Amino acid sequence: MEIDIKLAISAFVLGLGMSGVYFLLTVGLSLCYGLMRVISLDQFFYYALGAHITYTLINITGNFWLGLLTGVIAVLFIAYSIEKLIYRQIYKKPIMFSMILSFGVNLAGVGIIKYIWGLAPKPVKAPIGGTIPILGTDVPGYRVFVILLAILIYLGVWYFLNKTIVGTAVRAGIDDAEKVEALGINVYKLFTLTFILAASLSALAGGLHAPMIMVVPDMGLSITSFAFMVVIIGGLGSIKGTLISSFIVGQIVSFGSLIWAPLANIAPFILMLIVLLIKPTGLYGSKYLRR
Amino acid sequence: MKLSKSMFFDRRYIIVVVFVVLYLLRYVLPEAFVLEVVIQSIYVMGCSFLIGRLGLVSFGQPVYLAAGAYGTAFYLYYVGTNPYIGILVGVLMGLMVSIVAGVFLVRLSSSYFTLSNLAFCAIGFFLLQKVLVKYTHGDNGLWFLSKIDSTVIIDLSTTKGIVYFSFLIAIGVWFLYDYLMDRSVFGAACLAVKINEEKLRFLGYNAFNVKWLAFVIANTTAALAGSLNAIYLGFVSPSIADVSKAVEAVAISMLGGAGTLFGPVAGVLIFIGLKDIISQIVSHWELVVGIMLVAIMIRGEKGIVGSLEGIVHKSITKNNNKPVSW
Repeated sequence: MEIDIKLAISAFVLGLGMSGVYFLLTVGLSLCYGLMRVISLDQFFYYALGAHITYTLINITGNFWLGLLTGVIAVLFIAYSIEKLIYRQIYKKPIMFSMILSFGVNLAGVGIIKYIWGLAPKPVKAPIGGTIPILGTDVPGYRVFVILLAILIYLGVWYFLNKTIVGTAVRAGIDDAEKVEALGINVYKLFTLTFILAASLSALAGGLHAPMIMVVPDMGLSITSFAFMVVIIGGLGSIKGTLISSFIVGQIVSFGSLIWAPLANIAPFILMLIVLLIKPTGLYGSKYLRR
Repeated sequence: MKLSKSMFFDRRYIIVVVFVVLYLLRYVLPEAFVLEVVIQSIYVMGCSFLIGRLGLVSFGQPVYLAAGAYGTAFYLYYVGTNPYIGILVGVLMGLMVSIVAGVFLVRLSSSYFTLSNLAFCAIGFFLLQKVLVKYTHGDNGLWFLSKIDSTVIIDLSTTKGIVYFSFLIAIGVWFLYDYLMDRSVFGAACLAVKINEEKLRFLGYNAFNVKWLAFVIANTTAALAGSLNAIYLGFVSPSIADVSKAVEAVAISMLGGAGTLFGPVAGVLIFIGLKDIISQIVSHWELVVGIMLVAIMIRGEKGIVGSLEGIVHKSITKNNNKPVSW
């Protein structure tokens, strides 16, 4: 099978764009697992909600950026209340409680979205049209923007975790939440902060992904498998692992679909199985992150 | 085992009584509902066993259900007409899928096991819906109701026959799990995996093999339920392996009480009953199921049968030893 260079470059950029979305969606999952030891499957609801709010705001105002911002802010408040009302009650319970509970929140959310927005697929126009020439190949400008934004967000999260005092507390909480509590820091405030950070990043991912795909209520469920393959390959609770594996998975999906369309779904799964056979905790996952 | 001693008479009689009562419910409730409850109970039983006795939470149960259903469907659609052989093929298919999947998945620690199973379920759904379209006819599904032959002893081409057969199978499955859970060394080894895997290894057992065997048994049970469902409906479509149904089996197990013998029946009865009733008022089933999952997780610790058993145990034995429950 011959892949010419132009096709390869555009596939590479396409893959990077997907990697950006996967990263934004999974970094929250990873942070939540690392700090709170919960698996927050409702991130997919925030993702879908972000996309839908973006769509509606575009229809009303015609401005994509305003839609994106509104989506993120609305999800921020919703996530805040869900964390306060529901998550608070299960932090002390085994991890499976959080998984089923958050899946329940996710399903209920899909139901609400279906009720409000209906089932029909909705197209969203990319706010940045045109193409940018890279090595003689024209690639869509919007994808390049998504890639740059994802890198920016990664740097932002890195700066927050490593250079700010709150971020240091979060990192300490990831290592040992009880000791942080003993230092007089309110861990639950950190939990809330991390959760709404994760949710708003997911909403951002949804809004950014909207112009690349159709906005449908089930979009969260259909990206679930990819997101989990990314998280598992990278290792639960590791930001660096998430970055690397979202890069790998994005490329595999993009190049796989060039060779044979179903390979886009199957290849990451096979990669996941291989990684798990070699290292059952994923590439960067720690053995000790258990409860 | 404390749990079995706490029961003052043989539980095998209770199994028969429970299912006879359930069978008689057929005259009060719609037959389709009763049949659904029985088949779903068989499906949930394996999952409940895995959670309650091994501490393995699998979000991939629908894919094993689908393996059984599609095994049966392939046989009846392409090869033969005998429903008994169809069920056998379905069960064998489930057995093979779970043996192969078990090699990869069973070695993982708890969260990874759960999520890899979820990913497996998503891939299974994708395979059935998009990749194997030539054989599965994608979302159109396979229809084979007219191809089912009438058989001699229990006629599986009639609904009445399927009801009889499902109840017989259910009683058989419950006898098996009763034996597996509380009457065999294997059951004790399973519980040891959950409580302290290191110690089990220290005693000379191969923990991986114990988990693998339990995984295969539980998921083959799910496949059996899938086969029965396929024969009953005469139709399968990829939607049975849908990701949105991934946690239903787990949630029902928890609702009934994971690892208890009658937890699955109680859980399914309440879950499906509520779902049917509420869905008539609210049209979006996702919303209903989602809210039910949240409510079960916040309120339910041991589940219905688990808490009942605790009360019964306390009143009978008058000691403070709690029954083994997750």
